[in-house]
Amino acid sequence: MSKEGEIDDRGFKRDLLASLPNLRAFAVSLTGRHDKADDLVQDTIMKAWANQTSFTAGTNMRAWLFTILRNEFYSQMRKRGREVQDSDGLFSERFSVHPEQYGRLDMQDFRKALDKLPDDQREAIVLVGAAGFAYEEAAAICGCAVGTIKSRVSRARTRLQELLGVSGESDYGPDAGDAAITARAFGS
Amino acid sequence: MSEDNRKKDEMTPTQSPEVRPGAVQPNASISRKLREFYDAVQDEGIPDRFLELLERLDQAEKNAKAVEVK
Repeated sequence: MSKEGEIDDRGFKRDLLASLPNLRAFAVSLTGRHDKADDLVQDTIMKAWANQTSFTAGTNMRAWLFTILRNEFYSQMRKRGREVQDSDGLFSERFSVHPEQYGRLDMQDFRKALDKLPDDQREAIVLVGAAGFAYEEAAAICGCAVGTIKSRVSRARTRLQELLGVSGESDYGPDAGDAAITARAFGS
Repeated sequence: MSEDNRKKDEMTPTQSPEVRPGAVQPNASISRKLREFYDAVQDEGIPDRFLELLERLDQAEKNAKAVEVK
């Protein structure tokens, strides 16, 4: 094990930079919005920088950064008095974005569906399915058991299937799709 | 894009073993869309504000160290 502080500053900055696009994509996934995501990333960079001596050289910086960002996200949510949903509830309005912002219709539908997932399921499927973490790493980032992550990922997949519809009929306009999605989600 | 759902096997991602066989096809589509969404954000690169922020942090630290050394 190398001593703390042995990592040179350039290396730290370089690795941090290299992780930023991925970290930012995680932030967008969590917040559902680019502007909020970038504020979150900025706070994370500041925290990471201030705590760089607590980063152990040679370990996974990306996982370390993701952990900081995730903690920051939930701590900010708590400060705002918003409840962290743990079930199917809370159809938040945060995905009511300008349609053109996120490209094709099917991708818009996907983003909406992703946003409708409970936070714990969303972060799990994003960490494992997109950010490139192993189940064990995702569990460490979220501070829970590996089995918990696995079941969250599995539930997230099932829920996304329900929301998007296997037949792909959610390719219509957002409003028409919403009604169908809502009916399906609450009907099951 | 209903054809997406029919393109099953070519994009089949790594499936966890506990996934039910009948769920494989929609899962492939969902995994692909998830990565597509995520990659699109990643491909936006690093906004200037972060590069500038890191530059400032770096400079502030160098200045602080220079003071310490003296």
